[in-house]
Amino acid sequence: MNNLALKANSITKYFHDPVTMQVLKNIDVSIDKGEFVSIVGKSGCGKSTLLYVLSTMDTDYEGTLEINGITTTGKSLNDLARIRNESIGFVFQFHYLLPDFSCLKNVMIPALRLGKLSHKEIEEKAYEKLKMFGVEEQALKKAGKLSGGQQQRVAIARALVNDPAIIMGDEPTGNLDSKNTNIVFDMFRQLSKEFGQTIIAVTHDEDFAKRSDRIIEMADGEIISAKK
Amino acid sequence: MKISVNTEIALTYLTSRKKQTVVASLGVMFGISMFIFMQSLMKGTNDYFEKMSFTNTPHIKLYNENKVADNHMLRSFFKDESEKILINPKQLSKSQGLTNPFGMVDQIRRLAEVSAVTPQVTGNVIYTSGSVELPGNVAGVQIEQEDKMFDVKGNMISGNLLDLNRIHNSILIGKGIADKLSLHVGDNITVRSGSGNLLIMRIVGIFATTIKQVDETKSYANIAQVQGLLGKDRSYVTEIKVNLINYNNAPAVARQIETITGYKAEDWVKANEQLKAGFKVRAVILNSVIGVILLVAGFGIYNILNMTIYEKIKEIAILKAQGFSGGAVTSIFLQQAVYIGIMGGIVGIVFGFSLTLLVSKIYIGAGTLKYLPMSFYIPHYLQALSFGVITTIAAGYFPARKASKVDPVTIIRG
Ligand SMILES: Nc1ncnc2c1ncn2[C@@H]1O[C@H](COP(=O)(O)OP(=O)(O)OP(=O)(O)O)[C@@H](O)[C@H]1O
Ligand SMILES: [Mg+2]
Repeated sequence: MNNLALKANSITKYFHDPVTMQVLKNIDVSIDKGEFVSIVGKSGCGKSTLLYVLSTMDTDYEGTLEINGITTTGKSLNDLARIRNESIGFVFQFHYLLPDFSCLKNVMIPALRLGKLSHKEIEEKAYEKLKMFGVEEQALKKAGKLSGGQQQRVAIARALVNDPAIIMGDEPTGNLDSKNTNIVFDMFRQLSKEFGQTIIAVTHDEDFAKRSDRIIEMADGEIISAKK
Repeated sequence: MKISVNTEIALTYLTSRKKQTVVASLGVMFGISMFIFMQSLMKGTNDYFEKMSFTNTPHIKLYNENKVADNHMLRSFFKDESEKILINPKQLSKSQGLTNPFGMVDQIRRLAEVSAVTPQVTGNVIYTSGSVELPGNVAGVQIEQEDKMFDVKGNMISGNLLDLNRIHNSILIGKGIADKLSLHVGDNITVRSGSGNLLIMRIVGIFATTIKQVDETKSYANIAQVQGLLGKDRSYVTEIKVNLINYNNAPAVARQIETITGYKAEDWVKANEQLKAGFKVRAVILNSVIGVILLVAGFGIYNILNMTIYEKIKEIAILKAQGFSGGAVTSIFLQQAVYIGIMGGIVGIVFGFSLTLLVSKIYIGAGTLKYLPMSFYIPHYLQALSFGVITTIAAGYFPARKASKVDPVTIIRG
């Protein structure tokens, strides 16, 4: 039991605007530590919505959520912020960087927030992460001046900087060419295998999904298959 | 130096929007420099008028107030417990002067706060020279004490005030009297009292104050001569004037003197009520102007932060997604307000000081007022800075709180 990175019990969520509709219907899902999971499904089936709930950012749902054995449902916003900062790295569907800051700073900020390492150590670590995704040359450029793919890679580097237990990505390779997609995939693979980090990635890339440990398929707010 | 990540983000936002930051700080700067300038001008003017009022008013004046007769004399005469009733009490005339004045002068002189005490006899007189007559009043004084209190020497335009003690029947007259009667030092002047006594006096000096009415009526003579002129004895004194080391203590010391002597002691605050009323009115005007300026500056900051938050709402969501708490976000935006406030405050202090210095050099040349009286008073600068910072914090607080409430999911979904 202690081996679960994440456990969701009958998660249900409604949207009320413009009309009440149920986006997530009784979702049960357990993900092991070190597992590399892909979530697939048709556009609009609720993948992003589920991911936001699992990331603790969205607290407006029914059901319960446990992360690393701790129930996060009902915790205060500040506690959740702390948990996210420490144990969850998130790559958004539309790679959001802070455009006024350099790429390096963007990657450093979550680590500075966590405050476990010195400024210098954080800087070195951030630089190393940028290097892993081949964007170290852009380190000192303002984030707003990068191409879409470059921004996405910086965003992935940022998600990894605190060595989070869980990395969540909403189409993390959506903007990347096959070469860079492979780099990211290999990196995820390595993180899950060697460092026991859990990867949960929403993707439309069939090949990417097939090569992961497990595919969770969604349709219409429900999980229709979750075989290993 | 280790700065927190919140501070780093706040500073980046400020520097990536230089123009707005500068405009917001300018608002604060303007408010603070105006605050300093106007406070300095007001305090300078008030101090000046206060000082001016001391050139002819003592800090405390002891005199015999006309009052309705009561039974205290009877009581001290009979020294018993029986009740004394006065039938048909009358208004007592002030012309009786003070009883035992020189004893009281000694008593008052012994008070720790007192720096100078002098008795005075004032009498209404008519000055005559040739066929021209002029009404006025003569003050019988001990001229050294009078000089110590009011700097009579500084007002002398000719003659020597110490001749008053050396030359028998001598007098110092105001410049207005001298002009009207065309008299000079060394000339004689006839002084006639209300009781009809007449004295021919030698003019040993002419003085000019800033007040025309005083110069046209007032003269100084030795106390003994005025007593003689009024037909009174050597213990006749109409008032005792007292100056203190610190004039702000006047009301308290006046009460003390009243209890010691039993006479009315009027402090300068009471004697100059209209002056004080003027100070108060000016303070109200000044404070409303400053209030408006700071309000406008505060709105500037509020506006700019609100705009920033509107623009940066996605970034705020990102920060929160990455684990920044509501408090951290509040801190980021409140810090921006505080830095704007501090920047504007420091520049405002420098600017306010320079403006005050510059204006204090403007030549006015009206009467004894040569330059605009400006005060350089450190507490004004500290007040200005704290007002500035308080305004910016108040103005920054609401936008910052709004930012802290941003829900990351709603924003990131778009
Ligand atoms: N804020 C919202 N209010 C109302 N309905 C919403 C809101 N956000 C999403 N939806 C609806 O919820 C459903 C699920 O949306 P979601 O973004 O989770 O889809 P998705 O599976 O991530 O799709 P895609 O692959 O296109 O990203 C969609 O039908 C969408 O229209
Ligand atoms: Mg989506």
